[in-house]
Amino acid sequence: MTSSFFHNPTLLAAAVAALLPFFTFALIMVFTRPYPRLSAVLSIGAVSVSLICAIFLLGSHWHLEEPIQYTGKWMISGDIHIPFGFLLDQLSLLMLTIVAVISFLVQVYSLGYMAGDPGFARYYAFQSLFAWAMMTMSIAPNMLQFYIFWELVGLASYLLIGFYYEKFSASEAGKKAFVMTRFGDIAFFLGLLVVLLHFGNLNIQDMNSVDVTARMSPALITLSAILIFGGVVGKSAQFPLLTWLPDAMEGPTPVSALLHSATMVAAGVYMFGRIFPFFSNSAVAMTTFLTIGTITMLLASTMAMVTRDIKQVWAYSTISQLGFMVMGLAAGSYFAGIFHLTTHAGFKALLFLCSGVFIHEYETNDFFEIGKYGGRGLKVPIICMTLAAAALSGLPPLSGFFSKEAIMGALAEQHNPVWLWAGLLGAFLTAYYSFRLIFSILFPKKVEAVHQAEHGGHGHGHEAGHHHAGIYWVMAWPLIILATITLVLGFFHTPLENFLVGHHGGGEAHGGHHAWLLYVAVGLALSGVGLAWLEFGRKGAPQVGFVEKVEPISALFANRWYIDRFYRLFLDYFIYGTVSSLFTRNDRRVIDGGIDGMCRATVGTGWALSFLQSGMLQYNLMVMFAVLALVALYFFF
Amino acid sequence: MKLWMLFIPELYCLLMGVVFFGLAMVARPNPRRDYFVALLLASIGVVVALASVKLEGSLFFEAYRVDLFSQVFKVMLAMGFFLVVCLCTELNGIEERHHPEFYLFLTTCTLAMMMLVSSVELLTIYVALELSSYSLYILVPLRRGYGIDVEAGIKYLMVGATSSAVMLFGLSFLFGVTHTTYVVDIIHVLPNVIGTPAAILGLLLTLCGFFFKLAVFPFHFWAPDVYQGAANQVTAYIASASKVAAVAIIIRMVSLVGGNSQYLVDVLVTLSIASMTLGNLVAIVQKDMKRLLAYSSISHAGYVLIGILSMSPTGYASAIFYALAYLVMNLCCFLVVVKVAQDGSDLKIAQLAGLHRRSPILAMALMLAVFGLAGIPPTIGFTGKFLVFTAAMEKGYITLVIIAMINATISLYYYIMVVKAAYLLEPDVAQPQLAVSVPTKVLTASLVAVMVVFGVFPTYLLEVARAAARMLL
Repeated sequence: MTSSFFHNPTLLAAAVAALLPFFTFALIMVFTRPYPRLSAVLSIGAVSVSLICAIFLLGSHWHLEEPIQYTGKWMISGDIHIPFGFLLDQLSLLMLTIVAVISFLVQVYSLGYMAGDPGFARYYAFQSLFAWAMMTMSIAPNMLQFYIFWELVGLASYLLIGFYYEKFSASEAGKKAFVMTRFGDIAFFLGLLVVLLHFGNLNIQDMNSVDVTARMSPALITLSAILIFGGVVGKSAQFPLLTWLPDAMEGPTPVSALLHSATMVAAGVYMFGRIFPFFSNSAVAMTTFLTIGTITMLLASTMAMVTRDIKQVWAYSTISQLGFMVMGLAAGSYFAGIFHLTTHAGFKALLFLCSGVFIHEYETNDFFEIGKYGGRGLKVPIICMTLAAAALSGLPPLSGFFSKEAIMGALAEQHNPVWLWAGLLGAFLTAYYSFRLIFSILFPKKVEAVHQAEHGGHGHGHEAGHHHAGIYWVMAWPLIILATITLVLGFFHTPLENFLVGHHGGGEAHGGHHAWLLYVAVGLALSGVGLAWLEFGRKGAPQVGFVEKVEPISALFANRWYIDRFYRLFLDYFIYGTVSSLFTRNDRRVIDGGIDGMCRATVGTGWALSFLQSGMLQYNLMVMFAVLALVALYFFF
Repeated sequence: MKLWMLFIPELYCLLMGVVFFGLAMVARPNPRRDYFVALLLASIGVVVALASVKLEGSLFFEAYRVDLFSQVFKVMLAMGFFLVVCLCTELNGIEERHHPEFYLFLTTCTLAMMMLVSSVELLTIYVALELSSYSLYILVPLRRGYGIDVEAGIKYLMVGATSSAVMLFGLSFLFGVTHTTYVVDIIHVLPNVIGTPAAILGLLLTLCGFFFKLAVFPFHFWAPDVYQGAANQVTAYIASASKVAAVAIIIRMVSLVGGNSQYLVDVLVTLSIASMTLGNLVAIVQKDMKRLLAYSSISHAGYVLIGILSMSPTGYASAIFYALAYLVMNLCCFLVVVKVAQDGSDLKIAQLAGLHRRSPILAMALMLAVFGLAGIPPTIGFTGKFLVFTAAMEKGYITLVIIAMINATISLYYYIMVVKAAYLLEPDVAQPQLAVSVPTKVLTASLVAVMVVFGVFPTYLLEVARAAARMLL
């Protein structure tokens, strides 16, 4: 294989794209940590090369007929071996490109956002670690490799959420994210084991083939599918494991943009898409997923309606959009879910990066405050953010509109109309809370004295202002690029569909069958925007939402439906109070006590025997002869 | 080839003895002169022993056999002697005017042990053994100014004399059963009569004399007091060279049985377990480094016995390998003891505190040697233990091996205490840097290299040990 390695551009490009960030990570951690600039250059250089490789791969395999798979055997022991390698098909190529593009843009943006941070080099090291893990996961040919890098992605997420580890809430949030996703991953791993035991293979292509139904009973498929979906629930913050994601906003904003909206949390949805045919074998499981996706989408939307924190709003909207993607996939439309994942990655990263500019400028997360300080003065971010919010709300002709329509179409195909109505309600709520935020910044009640940092030159000297402007533009360019993507990506609906499901795919639902649906959805989105305008946008608007007027409901939403409270109680009373205290007692008394006792007995015996030693010579000789006498007796009997 | 050439290593030792005897006659003491003469002669002694390693033949009416087995042990003895002499740069434990005598008795002891490993006749064995013991009886109380030296000397003498008496009793039994004192003839007769109590008791009582040398339970009582009471260099010699000779002669005696006495195996198993357990348990509570090493040597005697009691060629080979490994590791430990306690006093374990700062190379050597004694890979000690345990497993003594493993775990405790003292503890009062001369550094480095290299690539040494063990059968 090595001989062909350099002659095969596909293999080489895939290997370079996936591995280069890892070497950068190692290099930064070991050598260049004291040199922040060099570390940033290394990391961005690596991710640029990865990006070029990814685009090259996507371009050269645009008309891919058969998936390309390379695996090398990674022997573990005996006859168990785990292949490592790459699986390049339409889905993985698309995901690889998404990850590379967003990673690249976020890393460039971070040059400005993280400038002067003491952990600058560490930040870029973790970014490289994430890029490596995420890209290798995207192109994994079997679920075991997928799982390993899935966990590594989780590790990178933990490290980046807790990046400001000296801040208590940040390190707590990191832990919470890690533990809650791990909770889902346990189920994921168990599910993989079920498949491994009964199917004997975790190769993705084999799992997706029809062999599965022949070798596993329907009940087993349902069981393993639901267990594996546990991983999706954890990683993509689905109900009931959704509360870690808002807390994860403690990390730096570019991290939220990259990991906790565009790519990492979408990994769950990606995994759903990855073994979509496998999941489709079980109708029960698919209905379960549809329910979970719907509940998640609605819950998160309600939470987003009452918060005042700009990042929290986008975090909740991420959760609800992820729920939306799950709904699309679970409704049977592979393309709709993946298409929404793609467009969402673009506009959600954009939303976060824009928020980052505001947070960086005004050093507050409260969007009412940002509005008050004159947030609308920052032209590029406010325009881009409005654009992205419109995309999020599903307004034409932005990318979100197309992908949302695709999902609505899929939902309309379902026999039970509940799903469609839930989806439409979600679309309405999404438009409402997005524009609640936008209007609050655009049309604040009262603009206070312009923040000094807004336009360089007021309070600062000329140089400082100039420098600040430089940073501003470093951060603005990625916004503009992402905004362009958001604008045009929708028009690539058909080519992407052809790419992903092929010309002969045929059976996909198009909005065309349901012309009325198009109008209803757009109408609902527009009425959401209108409601937001009435309450927040128009002159003399009260700036208090209709939900906020009803105290109990508002409290319910603000407390995240008491899900966290429930977990807290569960942890305190059941885990800490019962299970863990019992285990602790067992540890202290039985295990520690046993070992301590053993040690004490050993040392005590040592003391006792050493007294035997210090005795008189006569006793020593007596012992000698006594032993000899015993031995002699033994021989004679 | 002349017959006397077979006797060259011993003759050379005798010559050394004459030289030191001459030096002892000189009225004015000169420690530097004595040291350099000793170093020169000892290094030549190693070369002589190495040169004569291929000799084969027998001498003195078949009472003395020169073969690969004996010559390998002679090389080890010459090496041990040389290394102990290397430690004598600061021989502060012994009065200056007694230095020539110190070297003289070291030489006679080495000579006696060389004869011991070659003797194949009971009385020759006895004479050689006594010669080596008497040299040590004198060396132990030679220490200056510490009260316990006399007590240690007397204890050594008493236990030694008792063991000798027991051994003579055993020899008389052996003679009575086999009607011969020649080992070659005993080999033919003894396996047939080994079932009788007289024969086996005779053999066992004979072994007592050697068990005393090796400090196997219940003949270990001298070890802690003598280790502590003797001068550091003397202790180093007792702990290394004399143990090697004891292993050699025990292997030779046990191989007489021909490998078919369950009784003897049972007794040896019991003694081995008792030695290991007692040595390890009591070592835990020691405060003095030399006492700790004494108890550790008692437990190592138990491990060596495991190889010997397997009574198979692999078992003997593993015991030979273990003896060599033990020689190197122990000398490395004593090197550190001697260098840290430069005034010749006893070394408390607490005094090792901060050693890694005072002398990194000594601390590293100590750590590796101690890990080797504990049997941690990749040191030679691990390989030794591994071979010994493998030999026992081949014979199916799984319980014994498990007990030995548990013992090895217990021993880790006190070995790691030593490492902890050297690396993790800081002294109460800041201690000055230890002056370590370049030759000492070279010596330390080569000992460390031997421990690690032969721990990873033991094949060559193991081949030598196997070839030597084949000579017995």
